[in-house]
Amino acid sequence: MKYLIFDAGPIISMTMNGMLPIIEKLKGIFDGEFILTPHVRKEVVDKPMKIKKFKLEAIQVNDMIERGVFKMSNAVISNQKLDMETKKILKTTNGVLRTTQTGEKIKIIHDGEASCLAFSNLCGADNVIVIDERTTRMLTEAPQNLETMMEKKLHTSLDAELSLLNELKKFKFIRSAELLFIAYKKNLIPVKKSKELLDALLYGVKFKGAAISSVEIEEMKKLV
Amino acid sequence: MKEVENILRILRETSRLIKKDKPQELKALSGQTIHSATISQDGDNIVVAVLVYSLGKILEREHYKKMEGWSNFYTSVIKNLDLAIGSLEKNNIKNVRIYLGRIRNSLNQISGDLGRYIKDVFRKAEINKAFKLYEHGLSSEQTAELLGVSLWDLASYIGQSSIGDSKVAISMPVAERVKIAEDIFG
Repeated sequence: MKYLIFDAGPIISMTMNGMLPIIEKLKGIFDGEFILTPHVRKEVVDKPMKIKKFKLEAIQVNDMIERGVFKMSNAVISNQKLDMETKKILKTTNGVLRTTQTGEKIKIIHDGEASCLAFSNLCGADNVIVIDERTTRMLTEAPQNLETMMEKKLHTSLDAELSLLNELKKFKFIRSAELLFIAYKKNLIPVKKSKELLDALLYGVKFKGAAISSVEIEEMKKLV
Repeated sequence: MKEVENILRILRETSRLIKKDKPQELKALSGQTIHSATISQDGDNIVVAVLVYSLGKILEREHYKKMEGWSNFYTSVIKNLDLAIGSLEKNNIKNVRIYLGRIRNSLNQISGDLGRYIKDVFRKAEINKAFKLYEHGLSSEQTAELLGVSLWDLASYIGQSSIGDSKVAISMPVAERVKIAEDIFG
């Protein structure tokens, strides 16, 4: 068994680009399960269901859960276990950066993202997290860069205790952009294949929240 | 409430700028609040940032001042702002929150279009400030929760951010990440 664990961001960016059916097509060629944690479900179904502007999208995502395209994490790991691990991860990650001046902790990740990391830690199988959020990815892939970026953005000096991150295992992350890249390569997009299509797909998710730079998009286009 | 002195300074300045009808200065003042709000991640700081920015936007729309209900709204702003300042000077945080809340609640008593227009200004200000917090390095989920906006509302704004284009934001070579995707899909 293997798992693709979805954070809210990629589902939102793909839905807003009309690409929700592509997730289902990707599931069709995936030898494993697409997982949603309760925290992520809250963001992509429960909350938007109460907002008229996004209710239709919420209904569509909920339908995919009901049809089993997305599987809820409690089918694999109990919510209680997942919550405990989520809290542990939040405690670790949100203690990494402090302001030099006051020693105040900077909270950098939140429940949804942490619950994805928690599932990855507990599932005991090959897994990849789909997350558009740059902060969570940087936390384990390039923590030194995160410190620099936050200092630049906050205009304040920070102290980083990066050793705290040693207890987190090396997570594997992809974004909605990579999902669409795979869909494009495997001819799952029902539009005539062209470089222009790939360009449109990648910029589409960029402008709906995926943290991907134009330089990265240009590089990705060369990989086809 | 964190950074009480800073909030007190901003509220005093806000009151002064409203009375002098200086919307541009108000909007600039709201920018100052967001740095401290990011670090403190404190709801009160964020409420003040949204309030100051919204008041700047509202005051710059001259036609609002001619609409039914303007006088009531303006009076409520001045009165409650000064009461909030007085409470903060006495360190009565509970009352500060009540008086600042009354400014928005006063919109419910305005009949006609003005109340709806101003509510929309506040809602857009929340999304604007949420975007600023995101640009200051907070995660989108955390930002959405602090401001009470949905991730769906934030998505388009985040797409406009230049953060993803920053070199330091790239934590793995593109080919390597594509390889992860290709491997998991087999």
